[in-house]
Amino acid sequence: MSVNPGAILRRGFLALLALFLAAPLIVVASVSFNATRRMSFPPTAFSLRWYGEFFGDHAWMASLERSLTIAGLAALTAVLVALPITYAIWRYQAKAAAFLAGIGGALFLIPGVVAALMLSAFWGVTGHVGRLENVVLSHAIVLLGIPLSLLMVGFRTIDQAQVEAAYTMGARDSDAFRMVVRPAMTPYILCAFVFVFVLSINEYLIAYMVAGFTVQTLPIKIFANMRQGYEPTMCVAAVIFMVLGFSAFALMSKVADLPRLMGRTRPLED
Amino acid sequence: MTAADIGLTAPAGDLPAKPRWILAGLLTGPALYILIMAIVPAFLMVQLSLAHREVGGLWSPGFELTQYRQLATPLFARIMGFSLLLALTGAAICVSLAFPAAYFITRMRRRAQVSWLVFLLGSLSLSEVLIVFAFQVLLSTSGTLAGALSAVGLLAPGASLYPNFPAVLTCLVYLLLPYVILFFYPALSQLDPEVEQAAATMGASRVSTFIGVVLPMMRGQILTGVLLVVIFTFGAYLTPLVLGRPPQWTIAIHINNAAMGAGNLPLAAAYAVAVVAFMAALLAVTRLLSRRREAEA
Repeated sequence: MSVNPGAILRRGFLALLALFLAAPLIVVASVSFNATRRMSFPPTAFSLRWYGEFFGDHAWMASLERSLTIAGLAALTAVLVALPITYAIWRYQAKAAAFLAGIGGALFLIPGVVAALMLSAFWGVTGHVGRLENVVLSHAIVLLGIPLSLLMVGFRTIDQAQVEAAYTMGARDSDAFRMVVRPAMTPYILCAFVFVFVLSINEYLIAYMVAGFTVQTLPIKIFANMRQGYEPTMCVAAVIFMVLGFSAFALMSKVADLPRLMGRTRPLED
Repeated sequence: MTAADIGLTAPAGDLPAKPRWILAGLLTGPALYILIMAIVPAFLMVQLSLAHREVGGLWSPGFELTQYRQLATPLFARIMGFSLLLALTGAAICVSLAFPAAYFITRMRRRAQVSWLVFLLGSLSLSEVLIVFAFQVLLSTSGTLAGALSAVGLLAPGASLYPNFPAVLTCLVYLLLPYVILFFYPALSQLDPEVEQAAATMGASRVSTFIGVVLPMMRGQILTGVLLVVIFTFGAYLTPLVLGRPPQWTIAIHINNAAMGAGNLPLAAAYAVAVVAFMAALLAVTRLLSRRREAEA
């Protein structure tokens, strides 16, 4: 531990930053354990009452289930679309695949409301409105940039020499895939899936504009309740989001090299 | 943004010649999906912005500039101006907090670094609905902050800390900070420690190394970070809606109101096309600036 003023300043800055980022979450989480119906912080008496009410409420449960279904299917779709594209870039340096990846990356940079409008107009024209699969396919396309870049990071970690060695030893594509590519890529595929899943489950605007009147996801339900006034069960829903998100990324840090996944290529000592 | 920018270019290597049918088998599905779900909706939006508006929220294909004429009003200019002001203020705050934060994080030990990454990713993924709700709780009349401020006499009792401009700005900064820190993370972690060591051996202090060496090397990154904040702010809907008053409504709310409230889809599409054009222009300016600076450096 150094005691020079620079280090103190640095730690103070980071601590304040962490506090700023944690404060709203701490408030909501602690209000959810409050015994009274009134929104008061700090909580007056501890209770799990609102958790019981949340998990016993059919409407909340239905929204939660719907959100989990959408997120799972959207993550699966996005990964299944990104996997052949990134594989074609890595294995064959296919220009067409790089072009597709470029579109996927560009979509990620369109302001959220514009993407939502584009997709809601699209589903409106097809006449296929208010369905769950609309949200799934819309989330998957908007979030496609994530699996594209994470899977590409994964493919880059595969030792080309190892693949070539497999070929010289007479391995076919399918053998090389089974022996080298699949084991190396599994953690990255898992991470891409989890990342899209978490972002999809939290997404509000696209889900709302594409099918919000009939498909009430968890964020849509929270927002609808917010407009009618405060209700303690909303805090419980919020806590579910936090637990889901933080444990998903904690899990990710266990199965994959998180600094590398986030773009660090310079080696990092333990 | 091209494939190269998000790191999607292929490594050079001598792999066997590509059999066309394998590539076709791999890429037909994804290409169709992207065509139907991205290209078609984009064209549809442009077509919609030129369409003829019918009564009752309907429209018929056409080629007219009615909607675009509605953009040439002081109201639209004011909305865009406010959105840009909010975005640039937010960007200035975000970048000046996120850049040093990312710098410090990249220099931590692995365990601390991984914990910060999990924390940032976790808070980045939290729904805007949830954050806005949390800020509402935090800033409301019965909340802690208002209570504490009125207890020391800084706030009239019963007064609320929202809706107003600072509330919108704070919440946007909150939403964007994790993004911007993680955006700076790769570039700063790639920074060669030897450069800093060299500056230090020449007698430069850590602060002057940071300002004199690290900052200039990262100019392009910083400009792109600003652009990221601008894009996100223009797309933000819930934050200004809940924490702001109508004068603080950004373009996103007006797009949504035109589309969902007034049933004027063509006008919403014209707004959206204008926003995308504006973003593209900003991207071009950013590119030009960072290239020129790199050439100077």
